[in-house]
Amino acid sequence: MRVLKKIASACAVAALCGAFSAGVQAQEQKLYVYTSMKESMLNDIRASFAKKHPEVKLEYQSAGAGKLMAKIAAERESGKILADVLWTSEVPDFYHLKSQGILLPFIPAEIKSIRNPLPDYDGSFTAIRLGTLGIAYNTRFIKEAPKTWDDLKKSEFKGAFGIANPALSGTAYMSVATISKTFGWSFFEALRANGAKMGKGSGQVIDDTASGDLVASLAVDYITLDKIKKGATMALVYPPEMLVIPSPVAIFKDSPNALAAKKFVDFMVSKEGQSIIAEQGTLPVRPDVKLPESYKLPSVEDAVKRAMAIDYQQFMQEKESNIKKFTEIMQKK
Amino acid sequence: MGKTSRFGTAQLLFVLSVGILVVVVAVPMLLIFFNAFWVNGHFNVADVIRVLRQSETYEALLNSLFLSSGVTITGTLVGTFFAWLVTRTDLPLKKTMKLLFLVPFMLPAFIGALAWKMLLSPRAGYINRLFMDVFGFSSPIFDIYTYAGIILVETMYLFPFVFIQVSGALERMDPTLEESARISGADLFTITRKITIPLVMPSILSGALLIMLYSMAHFGTVAVLGVETGIYNIPTLIYEKIHQSAGSFDSIRTATVLATVLVITAAFILWLQNRVLNQGRYQIIAGKSFRPSELKLRTWRIPMLVFCLLYIGLTIVLPTVTIFMVGGLKTYGLPFVSENMTWENYRYILFEWDLTRDAIWNSVSLGLSAALITMFAGVIISYVIVKMKVRGKGILEFLGMLPFSVPGSVIALGVILAWSGKYGINLYNTVWIILVAYVARYMAFSLKANSAALEQVHDSLVEAARASGATMWQALKDVVVPLVRPGMMAAFFLIFLPALRELTVSVLLYGPTTRTIGVAIYTLNEDGETVYSAALAGIALVIIVTGEILIKRLVAGKSNA
Repeated sequence: MRVLKKIASACAVAALCGAFSAGVQAQEQKLYVYTSMKESMLNDIRASFAKKHPEVKLEYQSAGAGKLMAKIAAERESGKILADVLWTSEVPDFYHLKSQGILLPFIPAEIKSIRNPLPDYDGSFTAIRLGTLGIAYNTRFIKEAPKTWDDLKKSEFKGAFGIANPALSGTAYMSVATISKTFGWSFFEALRANGAKMGKGSGQVIDDTASGDLVASLAVDYITLDKIKKGATMALVYPPEMLVIPSPVAIFKDSPNALAAKKFVDFMVSKEGQSIIAEQGTLPVRPDVKLPESYKLPSVEDAVKRAMAIDYQQFMQEKESNIKKFTEIMQKK
Repeated sequence: MGKTSRFGTAQLLFVLSVGILVVVVAVPMLLIFFNAFWVNGHFNVADVIRVLRQSETYEALLNSLFLSSGVTITGTLVGTFFAWLVTRTDLPLKKTMKLLFLVPFMLPAFIGALAWKMLLSPRAGYINRLFMDVFGFSSPIFDIYTYAGIILVETMYLFPFVFIQVSGALERMDPTLEESARISGADLFTITRKITIPLVMPSILSGALLIMLYSMAHFGTVAVLGVETGIYNIPTLIYEKIHQSAGSFDSIRTATVLATVLVITAAFILWLQNRVLNQGRYQIIAGKSFRPSELKLRTWRIPMLVFCLLYIGLTIVLPTVTIFMVGGLKTYGLPFVSENMTWENYRYILFEWDLTRDAIWNSVSLGLSAALITMFAGVIISYVIVKMKVRGKGILEFLGMLPFSVPGSVIALGVILAWSGKYGINLYNTVWIILVAYVARYMAFSLKANSAALEQVHDSLVEAARASGATMWQALKDVVVPLVRPGMMAAFFLIFLPALRELTVSVLLYGPTTRTIGVAIYTLNEDGETVYSAALAGIALVIIVTGEILIKRLVAGKSNA
């Protein structure tokens, strides 16, 4: 009998503490960043940002762009967007949010130093990274590096080339849309005929490539290079026509923490913030930031020159139909 | 005065219990049906049919039925066989084996699924690689990303439902029936077929239906093993709908229609179970006064023991070891040699990753709060149902047991509809929304345990207290509550332990700071952070198993005292 009483009172105390601390947390000033970047990059950014702005407590929710947009949509429905800042690679989403008037225009102090890839710039969102996607392949299975996109139709890749699901991943959607505009849907049809698969998130296809479940995948630069650094038997190569996908950052208009959000955007555009981006193994937007030698990434200028063309307006309008078309192709038996 | 105060307490209790059940259970449920069938203010069945005819919807429905039927068949066979083995044969170490067969209940099925993905994914799974790289097989021996793979994994972790029921029945069964058949000249085969199996059939069936109910509503295994190759069941499709294109009304509607289908199917299964149980009330399974005769396994004794141990080794030890080993790899896919092993992932997950602390804290506090709330609310509601003579208590009973047949993803969906601001209260993105869902989800557990305890408290005790001048409240506090404490305890643990490792509900409800342990593991895996998710799963296993053992100790110590 005693035991039950003890448990009950202990539990009651614990439950009350839970309620209490939840109440306290709600009053604390925080900066919520919804982002599709992975933990490996966010950890370093958070550490440096905390050093520079100890007054701001940065929290992030890391998930695929599709999931984040769904979350934001649901939050809008319920009346309040929890996020202060959005940072993904799904550029059409940003144009969409801008057209709905829920973004807070903010032009960062060092805007002149960046190479802005986005047309119609008004500060609603600012690119802070030039993500690249290449072909990651597992060196246990593929001995000769693929050189062109067409090499993926070869038999070495049969049944084991993966592309992330464009409904989940922003980089995957941008890549699929860009490639289909450059080479036509027939390119994906040919890949599918060679047994290519649609995976889940952008991180998951790379993990599967590292494990050997896939021999190769359409892969985001820094996620792949992080795993290679940890010892994965992989390599990352870029065909001549490159996929260069900007990742913009935006502040929500109704954000109660706009001041902190602006500090964050300024920090990310600064040389310090951009150096972290470069150290992670992806391209910064500032040409004056030095790229680490070990990653063998192309320079910002070179990448932009080789990049396949992106029509943001069109990709925004065609998003649903593009995803549907791609899914149909990839699920063909 | 006594009369009015008694009336007052009774009314108060009744209103309170109705209030809890309506708010927590009835409103979310009604909203689901409402959203499924009403479009723009009109009752609209045509649209429901349109949703059901979309290929992804009916494929998910068929998959749910197919997978759960498969798991039910294999799980029932496995569970019945092992139950027979540990109760009716002279298998060595029977007692230990019986305990070992209950261990799969402790392991969350989705962690098992993660482990089997690592072992048997076609190209990268360690078992497949062993066969291909070392033994020179040209193709993988087994592909886990298939219907067969999902059924296999779920069977491993769900068969105890049947095992528990059947071994209980076999132990309580009156052996004189079998003996008289033997004396009359029947051989073992005839006895088994004509006496034993018919007698335990109700237990087998009710266990089987529990497996079916659980498997049909199960999210984790299919999410880990099926979704990649396009195998969705209803809970995974609801998750996909909510997470990918949520906010748009159409996807929420599709989800409510799916939820409705799931509820109807589950209700049908429960109805079936009730019928089976009512039919099968043979009064032959009596008290445990007889010792059942044991079949002599003779030369098969040792091989059978080895077989059982192998089974345990393959389904429990191997996956657990795999989780811990992969959690120690530098990156997923490397071979297990010492230069690839590191403590870094565990260090990172335990000390550096904020979400771990959040997740453990969330799961523990949610589990405790849900268990406490349902424990107390359960006593009140059961008291009204069992002891009071109030009109309309049938509704209470129905409402309370409803969530038992309602799958977790449906409850989560109902809670989203009810508590995300449309009706004045917005709990979205907070832990409270998960708590409300847990209370609804686990209320039935508490009602079962508490009404069983209350039924044993004779009315005369309360009457005696009242006759001696106690108020209704005093009688409850000093007489009834102390007597039903064991029931309350049971309810508490029945809820706390499953809530600790819950995934299906919280995966639909979590926000940036409200991940549960299950959600944290699942999202890490989904993001392709396999080694981190394995490390966290390992840590979670340690927490869960320690919790189980501590609680078992506590309960055992108490009953001895």
